Amino acid sequence: MALRVRLHHDAFDPLAALAAWQRHLELELELDPSSPPEPSRQRAAAEAHFIGRVRGINAAGEPLDALELEHYPGMTEAQIEHLAAAVSARHGLIHALVEHRVGRALPGEALVLVAVGADRRGPAQRGCQELLEALKHEAPFWKREWIGSSGRWIEGNTPL
Amino acid sequence: MTGPLQHGQIRVRLFAALRERAGWSERSIALTPGQPHPTASDLWWQLELGGTAAKDDGALPASLRVAINQAFASLDQPLQAGDELAFLPPISGG
Repeated sequence: MALRVRLHHDAFDPLAALAAWQRHLELELELDPSSPPEPSRQRAAAEAHFIGRVRGINAAGEPLDALELEHYPGMTEAQIEHLAAAVSARHGLIHALVEHRVGRALPGEALVLVAVGADRRGPAQRGCQELLEALKHEAPFWKREWIGSSGRWIEGNTPL
Repeated sequence: MTGPLQHGQIRVRLFAALRERAGWSERSIALTPGQPHPTASDLWWQLELGGTAAKDDGALPASLRVAINQAFASLDQPLQAGDELAFLPPISGG
């Protein structure tokens, strides 16, 4: 199973990240000498992608200036890898990519990209959703909403 | 950045709202020779991370989670010298 986890301290383009990941997967397939490729190296027939962005308005309806994401360096990356491996095993995923923003982000900027590949649409879509929900609840990130110079830590997540 | 731990110490780290409420992000705690090793729960009260609530009056926050050596752990797991203990407020990722 191919897996990549990246944290971005600055704004990132999720579509460029996705394209780079797909080029990487294609290159891996070209370099694979086994024919047919190992099951874990097959080209995925189904892909599911999710991009989450910083919302411009908070739950109270107030316009936000920024969202800050704190994380636990080391544990965050390890925990996402652990979660991705578990979800991939459960759904038979062929590959999984998680890219996540940390630091201060502006409304509209990408916060998270989750992209998975599987042999069929069901496992791909379910695996993508499950991995997203897992990292929202089980990877050590904390959000703080900023309105002007006032910051407020958010406890928990928005409803699914 | 984190400095080296002295022999017989554990490192305690706080994040996000817990860090700001306590006013510190990291401390080294010396284990007492001959005494039972403390748990995360013990240190929560010892370091007064629950604010002014006394141990007999207050309960640990239901949402509190801890990590030992960067993996989720039980609040009741005895800590060992060299461990890194982190108190984690409610997670909000994604």
